[in-house]
Amino acid sequence: MTVSTAHSTVQINVPKKRRNSLGDYTRYLIASGFVGFCLFPFYIIISTSLKSDADIFAWPPVWLFEATPENYYNALFVFGGEGIFKYLINSLVVTGISTALAVGLGAMVCYGLTRFKVVAGNHLFFFILSTRFAPPVAFVVPLYLMVQRTGLIDTHLALILIYTSMNMSLVVWVMRGFFEAIPIEIEEAALIDGYTRLQIFRKVVLPLVKPGLITTSILSAIMAWNEFLIATVMTQNSAATLPVYLAGFSGSMGLEWGPYLAVGTMAVAPIMIFTLVLQRHLVRGLTFGAVR
Amino acid sequence: MSQRAEARRAATVLVAPAIILLLALNIFPIIYAAYISLHHWNLASPNPPRFAGLFNYEELLIDERFSNSLMVSGQFIFLAVGVELLLGFALAFVFNSKLPGLDTLRKISLLPVMAMPLVVGLTWFYMLNENFGVTNWILTVFGFDRQPFLTDQTLAILSVVLTDIWQWTPFVTLVIFAALQSLPEYVFEAARMDGLTERQIFFKMTLPLLRPAILVVLVIRAVDAFRMIELIFMMTKGGPAGATEVLPWYLYTTGFLSLNLGYAAAMAVVMIIVVTLVAQVLVRKIVNQGVME
Amino acid sequence: MAHITINNVNKIYPDGTPAVSNLNMEIASGEFLCIIGPSGCGKSSTLRMLAGLEEVSSGQILIDGEDVSNTPARDRDIAMVFENYALYPHLTVRENISMPLVARNTPKGETKSRVADIAARLSIESQLDKKPAKLSGGQRQRVALARAMIRNPRMFIMDEPLGHLEAYLRIELRREIRALHESSGGTTMYITHDQEEAAAISDRIAIMYDGVLQQVGTFEELIDHPVNRMVAEFVGEPPISIVENGILTETGIKLGEVEFVLPVDTVRRAKKASGPFALGARPRDFQIVENDAHGLTAKIRSVQPMGEWAILLCDTAVGVLTVVSATAGAPQVESEITISPNFSRAHLFAADGNNLSVEGSLN
Repeated sequence: MTVSTAHSTVQINVPKKRRNSLGDYTRYLIASGFVGFCLFPFYIIISTSLKSDADIFAWPPVWLFEATPENYYNALFVFGGEGIFKYLINSLVVTGISTALAVGLGAMVCYGLTRFKVVAGNHLFFFILSTRFAPPVAFVVPLYLMVQRTGLIDTHLALILIYTSMNMSLVVWVMRGFFEAIPIEIEEAALIDGYTRLQIFRKVVLPLVKPGLITTSILSAIMAWNEFLIATVMTQNSAATLPVYLAGFSGSMGLEWGPYLAVGTMAVAPIMIFTLVLQRHLVRGLTFGAVR
Repeated sequence: MSQRAEARRAATVLVAPAIILLLALNIFPIIYAAYISLHHWNLASPNPPRFAGLFNYEELLIDERFSNSLMVSGQFIFLAVGVELLLGFALAFVFNSKLPGLDTLRKISLLPVMAMPLVVGLTWFYMLNENFGVTNWILTVFGFDRQPFLTDQTLAILSVVLTDIWQWTPFVTLVIFAALQSLPEYVFEAARMDGLTERQIFFKMTLPLLRPAILVVLVIRAVDAFRMIELIFMMTKGGPAGATEVLPWYLYTTGFLSLNLGYAAAMAVVMIIVVTLVAQVLVRKIVNQGVME
Repeated sequence: MAHITINNVNKIYPDGTPAVSNLNMEIASGEFLCIIGPSGCGKSSTLRMLAGLEEVSSGQILIDGEDVSNTPARDRDIAMVFENYALYPHLTVRENISMPLVARNTPKGETKSRVADIAARLSIESQLDKKPAKLSGGQRQRVALARAMIRNPRMFIMDEPLGHLEAYLRIELRREIRALHESSGGTTMYITHDQEEAAAISDRIAIMYDGVLQQVGTFEELIDHPVNRMVAEFVGEPPISIVENGILTETGIKLGEVEFVLPVDTVRRAKKASGPFALGARPRDFQIVENDAHGLTAKIRSVQPMGEWAILLCDTAVGVLTVVSATAGAPQVESEITISPNFSRAHLFAADGNNLSVEGSLN
């Protein structure tokens, strides 16, 4: 009835983890090598932006050097008359407003198509998603004429509207899952409590999908900040954004390299910080569609 | 207001703004581009635009530069996306382990994806420079000659490919990695109990279950590579002698340097058609797919 | 046919919590053994160590005399049926079932016929070309069983395979599982949290608690001779009635105000053990005696008729007790009765849980 008595026991301790340390080392080696490769160009641009002209063009390349903020000074205050502040401000304005609009309108339309029975709702949904693949370079031709004829050349408004439409698909793409995850009973309960549909959207639903709003905001902002082609074509002076300034780089040997690299660093730095800090949110937006 | 009427009103308010915006900035431009493409429309010429029928398209068919741009685009997509997929796939498996620190490494590797493509182009332009670029320095350290990366016909396209690989491989890695992590453990346990070897498990279980993710990332990368213009703009400007003139670049120079909008519009229409076909198929597939129960 | 010996097996999780402690168990060839116990008792860990899905922290597992610690799961010739079926979602039913044969490079013709055979036995021929997502729970479980049985392994292990099915399916399938076990001749280790299922399907039952094996035996042995309080309380429906804080007397035990006489051996053992003592008696082992006779006075709180027998909830001076009596002539609610445990079947538990009413290596 009871348990059998023990036989002579041989203690066999099978170490679970460290059995394949060679495989582990290889993993670390490959992963570090890859990450090193990823980081190297960042190192280059940051370090080179701090070099004096002599060092920038030195051969062989100089590894230990005297850092100088000369390039940043030039870029910020000297070049182009007022330096790059104008471009920075324009980038910030356009990015900020277009992101808010894209996320706002995108969340609205996504929720509307998810929760309500809209005429041709499914087709509209697919249509919005498919705009993700629209090639900007193809659209720039008709858009240019459209913008010119409405007198919106070189205005913030043109860029804002275009960027909003470009980011819409991503917002809808990501937010769909978030909206679907909300149990409909919550909204029904609010209905019974007397809220209107729009109030429910604002006060009940949106707070629940905050992570999705954060993700789409970040991704939309990054895209608007980085965008160059539309900006170059649509703006000249007043509304030119940072990428437009960078695109003006002509690559000739001369005074320009330093400041351009400095501006490049400034353009890339916020993104680097964002990416590292808000990584979790980015991942969701990037993998959506491929992974449930 | 009745329930249903209120719901209808709310739905309209929610959906209309976005749809109107997209109609104006997405649908209408396509129609307008088609319209423009049917005209002789050159901003540099003193003549006003004049109807031309299919003239621009006929020109495209015999345009060697156009067919060259298609070929260069094809080469670029094939090489860049091909390597990105293979490398990214392999790396996803490298990162697929609970070793400490691997997670952080993977997160750091996402940086290239988010960087401004223009700056990426600028940086690599600097790195690949024949006279003072660090890449050539590395070559000389290993005893090789300095290479004219961006001025040699073959090397130029390869350099752009390399830059694109640098920027986008982490994206592929991320997607495949996420897909790998989402595979349910029970499938592998059952497979081991059923007697499958690790090799069999990889080919019969892992790969088929990863197929949806691989397809998605393949198409996303292919379409994005097709539209890529920033690297060409910063690094080679289509040279040398058209070796890196991908379709977007040819379109851009035609439309905004030569100011031949009609012709550029024709190219735009071709691009849009190609991409729309792909998009339709893929979007439906993505939204409808479900391998797991 | 596989004879299993588990020797002093321990499993400790990486964070230090012990999942299984000092497990010693033998399973005879061809036996059907059930492991039951509350959640977290270590039954799943034991099963998975036997399967080879988890590593043993220390100790040995022998199958047919051979130490399998270094044998990977795929070479142990064990087939497993998972709680959630674990069917390959991207493959058809046919491909699922044939996988064990495909893994061993079995020729296609033979695979085909064996799949057809087993599908017929389990009544799933019409499902063969479907994917698991399109099947019901019961069908999926049959596919899982088919996949396990198709290669005639020497041992089956099943981790709560019927847990997610409706009641009638559970009863139907457990008969089939038992029949399949018998006709295959293999040894089976089976986990369930349903005692009735364990009683109906197995040859012997092992109870685990907190990673420690409490007792192994037939269902009757566990009911009639539980080795400790944990076993007594876990097994049996309705659960055993326990009176706490009994005080040991020279001849027996005092419960509240009433003294009862206990068997001599029990008292002898109790003197060597430490109190407080508790007395347990199964609801069926109480007698309703005359109101003035020796026993505990009880007031009926509720009567639950369950067919022939009724469950009475009784308030006594020493706690609420569950008593079973015939429905016919059962006392009314609120009435007062006197009950007395049948001391030839009652159990005295020491403070550490040991059952002092049975012989055991611990007494």
